[in-house]
Amino acid sequence: MEKLAGAAPAAAVPATRRKRSLRRIGITGWLFASPWILGLLCFYAVPMLSSIYFSFTTYSILQPGEFVGLSNYVELFNDPLFWKSIYNTIYFAVFFVPLSIFVGVSLAMMLNMKVKGMAMFRTIFFLPTLVPQVALSVLWMWLLHPNFGLVNGMLASIGIDGPPWLGGEAWSKPSLILMSLWGIGQAVVIYLAGLGDISEEYYEAAAIDGASWFQKTRAVTLPLLTPVIFYNLVMGTIGAFQQFTLPYTLTKGQGTPSNSMTFYVMYLYENGFRYFKMGYASAMAWILFVIVMALTALIFVTSKRWVHYQGK
Amino acid sequence: MKKTWKTAMLTLVNLLTASLFVTACGTSTGTGNADEPGVTTVTLWHGLTSIDLDNMNNVVKVFEEKNPTVKIKLVYTESSEGSDQKLLTAVAGGNPPDAALFDRFKVGTWAAQGSLTDLSDMAEKSGIRKEMYYPFAWDESSYQGKLYAIPLDTDARLLFYNKDHFKEVGLDPENPPKTIAELESAAEKLTIKEGKRFKRVGFIPWYSQGWLYTWGWVFGGQFQDAATGKITANDPKVVEALQWMTDFGKKYNVEDITGFTSAAGTEEMDPFISGQISMKVTGNFAVKGIKKFNPKLNYGVTQIPSPSGKDFTTWSGGGSIIIPKGAKNAEVAWKFLEFLGKEEGQELVNKDSNLSVIDAVNVKYGYKDDPIMKEFINVLPNSHNRPVIPEGQLLWNELASATEKSTHGNGTPKENLDRVTETVNKALEKYNK
Amino acid sequence: MNPAAVKTINRTLAYVCLIAASAFFIIPFIWLLSTSLKPLTQIFSFPPEWIPKPFLWSNYSRAIEYIPFWTFLRNTAVITIFSTLGVIVSCPIVAYSFAKLEWRGRGTLFFITLAVMMIPSQVTLIPLFLLFTKLGWVGTPLPLIIPQFFGVPIYIFLMRQFFLGLPDALREAARLDGASEFRIYLQIMFPLAKSAVLSVALFQFMASWTDFMGPLLYLTNEISYTVSLGLQQFQSQKGSEWGMLMAVSTLMTLPIIVLFFFLQKTFIRGITFSGIKG
Repeated sequence: MEKLAGAAPAAAVPATRRKRSLRRIGITGWLFASPWILGLLCFYAVPMLSSIYFSFTTYSILQPGEFVGLSNYVELFNDPLFWKSIYNTIYFAVFFVPLSIFVGVSLAMMLNMKVKGMAMFRTIFFLPTLVPQVALSVLWMWLLHPNFGLVNGMLASIGIDGPPWLGGEAWSKPSLILMSLWGIGQAVVIYLAGLGDISEEYYEAAAIDGASWFQKTRAVTLPLLTPVIFYNLVMGTIGAFQQFTLPYTLTKGQGTPSNSMTFYVMYLYENGFRYFKMGYASAMAWILFVIVMALTALIFVTSKRWVHYQGK
Repeated sequence: MKKTWKTAMLTLVNLLTASLFVTACGTSTGTGNADEPGVTTVTLWHGLTSIDLDNMNNVVKVFEEKNPTVKIKLVYTESSEGSDQKLLTAVAGGNPPDAALFDRFKVGTWAAQGSLTDLSDMAEKSGIRKEMYYPFAWDESSYQGKLYAIPLDTDARLLFYNKDHFKEVGLDPENPPKTIAELESAAEKLTIKEGKRFKRVGFIPWYSQGWLYTWGWVFGGQFQDAATGKITANDPKVVEALQWMTDFGKKYNVEDITGFTSAAGTEEMDPFISGQISMKVTGNFAVKGIKKFNPKLNYGVTQIPSPSGKDFTTWSGGGSIIIPKGAKNAEVAWKFLEFLGKEEGQELVNKDSNLSVIDAVNVKYGYKDDPIMKEFINVLPNSHNRPVIPEGQLLWNELASATEKSTHGNGTPKENLDRVTETVNKALEKYNK
Repeated sequence: MNPAAVKTINRTLAYVCLIAASAFFIIPFIWLLSTSLKPLTQIFSFPPEWIPKPFLWSNYSRAIEYIPFWTFLRNTAVITIFSTLGVIVSCPIVAYSFAKLEWRGRGTLFFITLAVMMIPSQVTLIPLFLLFTKLGWVGTPLPLIIPQFFGVPIYIFLMRQFFLGLPDALREAARLDGASEFRIYLQIMFPLAKSAVLSVALFQFMASWTDFMGPLLYLTNEISYTVSLGLQQFQSQKGSEWGMLMAVSTLMTLPIIVLFFFLQKTFIRGITFSGIKG
């Protein structure tokens, strides 16, 4: 901070010329962004660069290991569980991200209606995100246990033989997607904030044109919500690829049944912290980085077509 | 303008930081960190709760009376995954505690990483010897002939069976199965299946503590070659055990029993306690849960049935206490380890809660006369410990996954165990350079 | 059909949808509440029961005594309030610069900002810990607070999206009046983005309030622990105190529920740019 404050040019330079040269590099922008630039350098640069370096070594956290070039990366490509974890993660992302956007936007629009008791409804939708992780895994067992769970108990009472949920290879990931939808509260809050920022005048104008609810949604709400949808799409993708805590606690880190719940970062964690192969885990992290980066770039490139900013 | 803002911002940050330091210091002082002259404080990280914590506090009290120059500071970290991570980061950051409670199973891995203090010489001077403990407890605390931990407590796996169910189907509750064949026929009598749904399950070999380790040893297999240290998960006897588990699963249709063995089941939702399963292999740690959740359960404990009906065996894990590499007060901390490793400390620390690693202490507790506990004490002298190797966790996970694959029909037991052997031995190679 | 009838039908339909969806979302919390009042023997009884018999209020009183709850709560509050303050101070202004100001290197820096989110924290955890060790911050709450004052990438990205959605007309008008960029930000743009700022504050509040790994690694003194660490003390390898655990979990969520209840109003108050055509 002090360094930057001291970097202000000397007052000896005539004011007009100083203004112009400053405008050119956008000193104001730099100043406004300076806390984050410092933050990046202090808290992000070193750990990130370290992990790149580790990915070329046999670093074990407890021992520095030795430099082995690309061998971690080569080994990964011959690791069947690595591929399995990629498959699981992509499966999850492909289904969960679009679904969460659809459900999130629908819920937010529902919660944006002007009816009595809305404060209570909104709070209810936000509740599941507040339940601590420790409690969640027990809750799931209580609800979805194939034999004693509440859900299958209810299904049995109407004569349906319920699925094994988390116990079945085919059912485990869909169960997880369903559970993750419960934690959609944060995304809904963002959509709500976005909806709140849409000026009433647009709707008034649309009403004068005699637009139906459906037309208003298509012509006003959705286009103006795109900046926020775009945010949730990018963050949802990043988050889905880093899916970790819930499947980890549910399966006690084992990814059961038959590794159908071994997600990428879970396997990374297992390698780094339980097999002490932090070098290997770092290599995994950077492969993930490349995959997610490519996807994000794709989203950014296409965003020009469908994201509308009021400001532009 | 910008400059004023900068200064304002800076002042604000400074102010906040200052007030933060006040709170931070306010919380960290007042614990008496500063040692009185001549007194050394030993920090011990643990994950103990309720009765075990009371016991430990008691040990500390007695120890401090005997050693006025030492203070033991207990710091609760956590009892599972998290505590490992905390210890790991602390060791990596060069600021570990003086001592920590530690899963014995991990001693091999951490010792191979050079992160534990070698206790061999200190143990010899203090007269702590292998003969004091059950053999497996000492073996699991050592790596390549050196001692790295003091074993604290132990457990063992046996067959728990529901006596009321036995009576109901005409089996003698005082004469539980001894051979594998008897176990199979009892399981068949006890199982009640309606369509695809089980009303009651007699037995599932791999449920709860029925790991491949359990059955492999019961069938007379070995997981490690004593001479070369190589892993032998494909020992014919281990393959036989896994084959038996697989066939057992086939008979009852594995997919239908996943409900009982699904990953989401914990000890609390134990079908044995609720009478949904008649027999299961589990450890002495389950006894407490039964008392807590269903004190009226009429059950018995017996040796795990073996192919011959003799030579009963099982395996044991348990806790230990270690001194991390880089600990500041290793010598002083040793005094406390020594106290815990000897009979007096053992008796205090495991009271009313655990099995001690010293046979005499278990006798003192009166476990020999308890109908349930005596079975555990009887088997402990010939119990096994999991191979002490740098890749213990990998072997564990690989065996678990081989079991799951085989019982679900993905590959034969032989194929899967060959792969385990190959994978783990390959991972072990880098330690033999 | 007359318009009034249509309105009634619409309204009823809205309520039906809302209540149906709410039922799905309220389950976890109701369960938490019910479990926190159950005796141990009933928690896992089969078939599952919703209503505790008897209502065991003592789970709460026992839990608060079992861990130094109030001390932990105070520590949690300190960390949470400071880190929330941190993101309010740092994130909007950085995001504003990304969204509305022109400067060289802006695109590159934004790209890097996104990039740092794509590396799983599991691999940067150890190097970061070593960094804080070198700074001498381990054992204090500083590692959990100070970074927030320098910006958090997710929130910067979120705020950027909101600022991009705000029309430029206001800025231009203010600029013609000769206001400095900082004044425009503080007096016009920041208030306009209030709902986004509050969302960000809420998220950071929740993240700090429920954070487990951070306090576990960086706090080394039991007196300075947080509630989420305290929760762990009800769990052990030999069976857990579920009733007490759920009681503390419930208590933990209450402040956030209250906070959210009062905050959510700000999300609906749509802003109107009076006199400006968007």
